[in-house]
Amino acid sequence: MRIRIRHATSYTYDTPAYGVIQALRVSPSDHEGQLVLNWRVDVDVDGFLREGRDAFGNTLHIFYAEGAVNRLTVRVTGEVEVRETAGVVRGAPEPFPPGVFLRRTPLTDADAALADWAASLPTGDPLTRLHHLMEALGGRMTFHPGATQVDTSAAEAFAQGHGVCQDYAHIFIAAARRMGLPARYVSGHLCRPDGGEQDAAHAWAEAYIPELGWTGFDPVNAVCPDQTYLRVATGLDYLDAAPLRGARRGGGEEHLTVAVLARQSVRQRQD
Amino acid sequence: MLSRTAANLYWTGRYMERADFLARLLDATARLSGLPTTYGGDPTAWSGALAAAGAADAFALTHGEPTEAAVIHFLTADAENPSAICTCIEHARSNARAVRTGLTREAWEALNAAWHEVQRRRAQDLTTNDVREFTEAVQRSVAGFDGAAQRTMLRDDAYWFLQLGAAVERADNTARLLDVKYHLLLPRDEPVGGSLDYFQWSTILRTVSALTAYRWVYRDVVKPWLVADLLIFNDRMPRSLACCYETVVELLDFLGAGTGRRGPAHRQASQIQLQLRESDIKAVFASGLHEFIERFIVDNNRLGLAIAEQFAF
Repeated sequence: MRIRIRHATSYTYDTPAYGVIQALRVSPSDHEGQLVLNWRVDVDVDGFLREGRDAFGNTLHIFYAEGAVNRLTVRVTGEVEVRETAGVVRGAPEPFPPGVFLRRTPLTDADAALADWAASLPTGDPLTRLHHLMEALGGRMTFHPGATQVDTSAAEAFAQGHGVCQDYAHIFIAAARRMGLPARYVSGHLCRPDGGEQDAAHAWAEAYIPELGWTGFDPVNAVCPDQTYLRVATGLDYLDAAPLRGARRGGGEEHLTVAVLARQSVRQRQD
Repeated sequence: MLSRTAANLYWTGRYMERADFLARLLDATARLSGLPTTYGGDPTAWSGALAAAGAADAFALTHGEPTEAAVIHFLTADAENPSAICTCIEHARSNARAVRTGLTREAWEALNAAWHEVQRRRAQDLTTNDVREFTEAVQRSVAGFDGAAQRTMLRDDAYWFLQLGAAVERADNTARLLDVKYHLLLPRDEPVGGSLDYFQWSTILRTVSALTAYRWVYRDVVKPWLVADLLIFNDRMPRSLACCYETVVELLDFLGAGTGRRGPAHRQASQIQLQLRESDIKAVFASGLHEFIERFIVDNNRLGLAIAEQFAF
């Protein structure tokens, strides 16, 4: 399926902000299941935009704004061809061995409740256990935008019983790591059939299964990613894979709006 | 690279492209006006050519009636006309000579030969009969220069500025051609296929060397809205607005690749590129082809100014 992405993230600052730096992990890489046809990152203020790779192999753009800015919009457009691979990711840049993704981070550290819950799940081979985990998580949590913040940890969201895709992914990762299975956070886009404008991108998790390699699990929708999932960046948790992270001096209060449009691309043919 | 050098290369590219467009325009107009009126010949063909060249006002000031001979002279050899073919090549040559070392020997020699060629021919009074020979010589010269540059120049700032000028000018030329002829391209209810229309549309296609391309793309008789679609939205058609902007954005990225610098030219170019990508011919007809083209010409001129600002020309 050919997915067309258009998203814009706008910051407005109450007072001019100086030295604005943004780290953008918004560009997907090619792997066996996806081919980037075209991709473009634009910013609407003068400055320097440099492309590189981060430690996890993600494409990383760093933008340095020139002078003071009152507002900043990062616009990303592109088209990607995605194939159904039953969630298995092969041929992606993998600078680290899977064992690295057993490491705990503050956002994905399981507390006693979460660890007990993970231990109570049915056992079996890794693939079966992860599927059980994904299903059990969907029964345990309710999807509730606005109930959690970007810095809510897996344990906190689990205690509350509701959250957004980020929290689902963090809980999944925390539980999988407790089971001794390497797991990581994936940020990307989901091309929903209705194709309307969304105010956030999507996130899910990947776990390493020795026979299959890295395999995706989307606990929110209780499916493995198919050809409607565009994988953009990975990391130990949200902070490693977040689409935009920035720093600035001054600027007072910051207001953020995000508009994401992911839809099936239609090659226009005139008659 | 010095800004002055960049400006000279950019304008060399623009003037060569403009000379090429004028040659095509003259050639197509001569064909159209040569037809008998009953068979599609158009008595206003020459004033249309003046308008598409953006020279109607300048012509009206110094000449009276746009007769064939007067327009041909005005668009080829008139030293008073800043956008006559001879003047364009002259400007291209003087810009290139100022940065002689920025070009390869082959590229410079091709340009210099083009200049000698038009100098030799401008002395002769051109009539419709030999205007064809002249325009062919100009097109050949420009193609020779492009080919020499493409084959021999290093892929660095000098080459990219040359190409950038050409791409911006090409977009402007196609847009101005569409602006003059837009009324012919509007979809109509009555059955199409009148001979007048056919020759008008194929003249438009011929001006941008796209008659064969049209047949490849649409495999259909010449229909006006498809002509507009080809010239605006088909990004595989080198003279379409979409293709020009894909090229412009790519060249600006190359120019910024070393430093990562993003400036007003990037913003303006990627904004127009996005508009072209997000729209289609139906939307354009719904909101007005004429308005769309006029807005594009203004936006494209703004890009010219933004380039001058960003690279401190």
